[in-house]
Amino acid sequence: MAETISNISLSGVTKRYGDVTALDGVSLVLEGNEYVSLLGPSGSGKTSLLRAIAGFEAPDAGKVTVFGRDVTHLAPHKRGIGFVFQNFALFPHLSVYDNVAFGLANADSPPPADEIRRRVTDMVRLVGLTGLEERGVGQISGGQRQRVALARTLVTEPRLILLDEPLGALDANLRMRMRDELRHIRERLGVTFLHVTGSETEALAMGDRVVVLDRGRVAQFAAPDVILNSPANPNVARFLNRYNVLSGALRGEAFASAYGDLPYGKRVESGDAAYGIRYDRIAVVEETAPASGVGIPVTFVTSEYLGSAVMYFFEAADGHILEVEHHLGKGRMPEFRPRGKYRLQWKPEDAIVFG
Amino acid sequence: MESRVLKPVLAVYVGLFILFLYGPFIVLTILSFQQGPEGGPQFPIIEWSTYWYRHIFGLTPPSRVAPLPFGESLIRSLTLAFMTMVTSTVLGVMSAQAFRSKFKGSGFVFYLIVLGMMVPGVLTGLGTALVANTMGIERHWWSTAFVTHVVYTFPFAFLVMLAILNRFDASVEEASWSLGVPPMRTFRKVTFPLIFPGVLSAMLFAFTLSYDEFSRTLFASGRDQTLPLAIYGTFAVEIHPNVFAFGVLTTLFSFSLLTVYAVLMTMSVRRAGRAAIQEDIA
Amino acid sequence: MAEQIETAETTRNRTAYWLIAPGAVWMALFLAVPILMIVYVSFWTQTTFKIEPILTIASWKQFFSSETYIGSLFTTVRLWLIVLAATFVLGYPTALFVGLFVKSKTLSTVLLVICVIPFWTSFLIRVLAWRPMLGKEGAINILLQKAGLISAPIEALLFSELSVVIGMTQIYVVFMVGPIAFMLSRIDRNIIEAARDLGASFWRIFFKIILPLSLPGVIVGAIFVSVMVLGEFATTAALSGRKVNLLGNIIVTQVGSLKWALASVVGVILTIIMGLVIAGFLRVVDLKKEL
Repeated sequence: MAETISNISLSGVTKRYGDVTALDGVSLVLEGNEYVSLLGPSGSGKTSLLRAIAGFEAPDAGKVTVFGRDVTHLAPHKRGIGFVFQNFALFPHLSVYDNVAFGLANADSPPPADEIRRRVTDMVRLVGLTGLEERGVGQISGGQRQRVALARTLVTEPRLILLDEPLGALDANLRMRMRDELRHIRERLGVTFLHVTGSETEALAMGDRVVVLDRGRVAQFAAPDVILNSPANPNVARFLNRYNVLSGALRGEAFASAYGDLPYGKRVESGDAAYGIRYDRIAVVEETAPASGVGIPVTFVTSEYLGSAVMYFFEAADGHILEVEHHLGKGRMPEFRPRGKYRLQWKPEDAIVFG
Repeated sequence: MESRVLKPVLAVYVGLFILFLYGPFIVLTILSFQQGPEGGPQFPIIEWSTYWYRHIFGLTPPSRVAPLPFGESLIRSLTLAFMTMVTSTVLGVMSAQAFRSKFKGSGFVFYLIVLGMMVPGVLTGLGTALVANTMGIERHWWSTAFVTHVVYTFPFAFLVMLAILNRFDASVEEASWSLGVPPMRTFRKVTFPLIFPGVLSAMLFAFTLSYDEFSRTLFASGRDQTLPLAIYGTFAVEIHPNVFAFGVLTTLFSFSLLTVYAVLMTMSVRRAGRAAIQEDIA
Repeated sequence: MAEQIETAETTRNRTAYWLIAPGAVWMALFLAVPILMIVYVSFWTQTTFKIEPILTIASWKQFFSSETYIGSLFTTVRLWLIVLAATFVLGYPTALFVGLFVKSKTLSTVLLVICVIPFWTSFLIRVLAWRPMLGKEGAINILLQKAGLISAPIEALLFSELSVVIGMTQIYVVFMVGPIAFMLSRIDRNIIEAARDLGASFWRIFFKIILPLSLPGVIVGAIFVSVMVLGEFATTAALSGRKVNLLGNIIVTQVGSLKWALASVVGVILTIIMGLVIAGFLRVVDLKKEL
């Protein structure tokens, strides 16, 4: 992979903690001025990767190049990489203003005092904290603290900012609002964001591209719609939380599962065999209705109302739970009888087979 | 329920227990106001007076009771306590900081340091005297006694700082680095202000322990006595209420130290109080 | 690649070593060397006023053949056991009240601070304060006489083993109260509530739940008290009128008469006793696991 002065390149980054391999030869290239989401289940190495890029921990092997500079063994303060922590890690003994000014005022060669004042004031305005400058960071709300954390980093003008679950500590409402704000701020400043998240919704909504990390390896790195429509392997499909993933074996034109042979439309090369069908591509019909396409007999278990959609949970004969998503935009929500017998049906071309 | 009976009984007991802790000192305080110079160190109080307090400061006419030789020893003790405080706090902060990364041999060094507060003063004092004798080094309160004092107080400072740093959230330091601030300046601007309450406690420990130390000092200091040694010297001779009066004064001094500590602590905790809410969500 | 691993690890370790070096060197030079010196000098040859580094076990023989020294060894052990028991018996109820019975956190802290404050005042003055308390014309005798409980003052109160025990107990009991109260305050009160709901009596709860859970605190307290009592000499000097001689007192007298070798022998014996005591306590409870 090419290292240029306009990109961030990781090659073969490996990190072990004792017997545990947190990062297993991660290679990635992020472009300048790009929003990249880093998705993975807990323990997949997301935070380790971020900390290796920031320099908080040195990788055991591999190379990290940031805008043409090899920073693999450079101390964190010399890298010029911003970091936004999940718990914000604001300086509790300083005011909002002093938090934002901290990096500039304590730099190796600080800019003149009036320039610091101008830049800090501008940044405080950009993140909408004007008027709160003299507050202690304990006297402001969670969302405001998030903005201080961001402003403090942005004001030092790094070209790459790493965000470690930056919205994790916020409540749901605020999280939605901060998503938009993060995107806007990034677009205005033209920096690269690498945003770690455990939420697939957040990753797909925010990233220009999404990295899916699985057990210390890059499982897929692509645009959100590519990842959503053709996950690289069954694990990615599972993290996305959008696919029913059925196990079985690939046999020529059909997939042999516990529910018989299932025909499919698309095949993705992968080590693990699995059959995936998206939650929102499934129709529910009465057990007795005439069959069309692929079908599995199921029992209705329960439903969950999500606001813009409803999730229905069905149990197959072997106890496996299958989920069906009904977007309310497609019409009013259907009702099913408790423990009622139904059949789930879908078109073979909507199904993906891994193997 | 028995505990309904037990609680008041225990409350009364604790009252008596506190009396047991403070009783002797109360009696000593009362007797320090004994009439002088004839009044002895026992009841009854012949007449209330401040004679013995004036006696300490040499404000009474000469009498058969010699003035206490405390003046110079007090200065020495304060100087020694200050030196010890600074040294052991610096060593304590450095060592505790080192223990944040698990370096090779950390277990051994931990026990070596903690040993300093466990080994009785007679032993460290004796050992230091032996080493000094063998090497032909003259013993002084500011040399040999000073190093043994630090051996004693440094472990306290170390443990206090270790406890503080164990609870310290290292991400604020990482945040500072990621803003381009070098490690040393990060320590000065971020870490130190946040661990300051611990530093204050370490200083209080080191100062008071050294100021009051005498078993190590007994062997490790030379001719010039520190204050506790001067007090210890009076044990052997007949006691007059002037020692009691001095006891009251030195206790008041200890209390004023504690008050200064409490005030500084309240101030720094109030300043850090703004941080409390932030920690809650973390 | 192997080189890279080393660089990353060594950088971090190097900083740690630089930070720990001054403290470690200080302790090695001024603690470990002097202790080893005591062991070494205990085998030196002692003449009237000087010692020479000619190895001999004469001083050891002298110690073990003298009734006075053996006697003081037993006095030390006896006094240690008595004071240890006294601090536990007197301190536990206070710790129980402060750590478990007091529901208000403020009151509990205030009580604990009251117990700890004397620790910050002069040790010698605290010892000395017992003299006007226990003397023949002391406060206790006067009170008892006024109350008509005794007709003549009890002389055994001061300058006896009793006065030493009283003095030491008062001074060291706080080291027992603190750790026990700390452990008790960590007990989940729901466990006690649950046991009470199941009909367990207070004493049953005490022996089955409270005491076992506070044991680490007792052990820590016992180690503190033991270490301090075993190394004592000042309380005996002030309150026993030279009647009680601990190993510490022997060291002081021997050093006073420049008998360094014998003082060193006593020092080594003291160290061994303390090592045994601490090791013994640590066998009872695995502190690393409990705390």
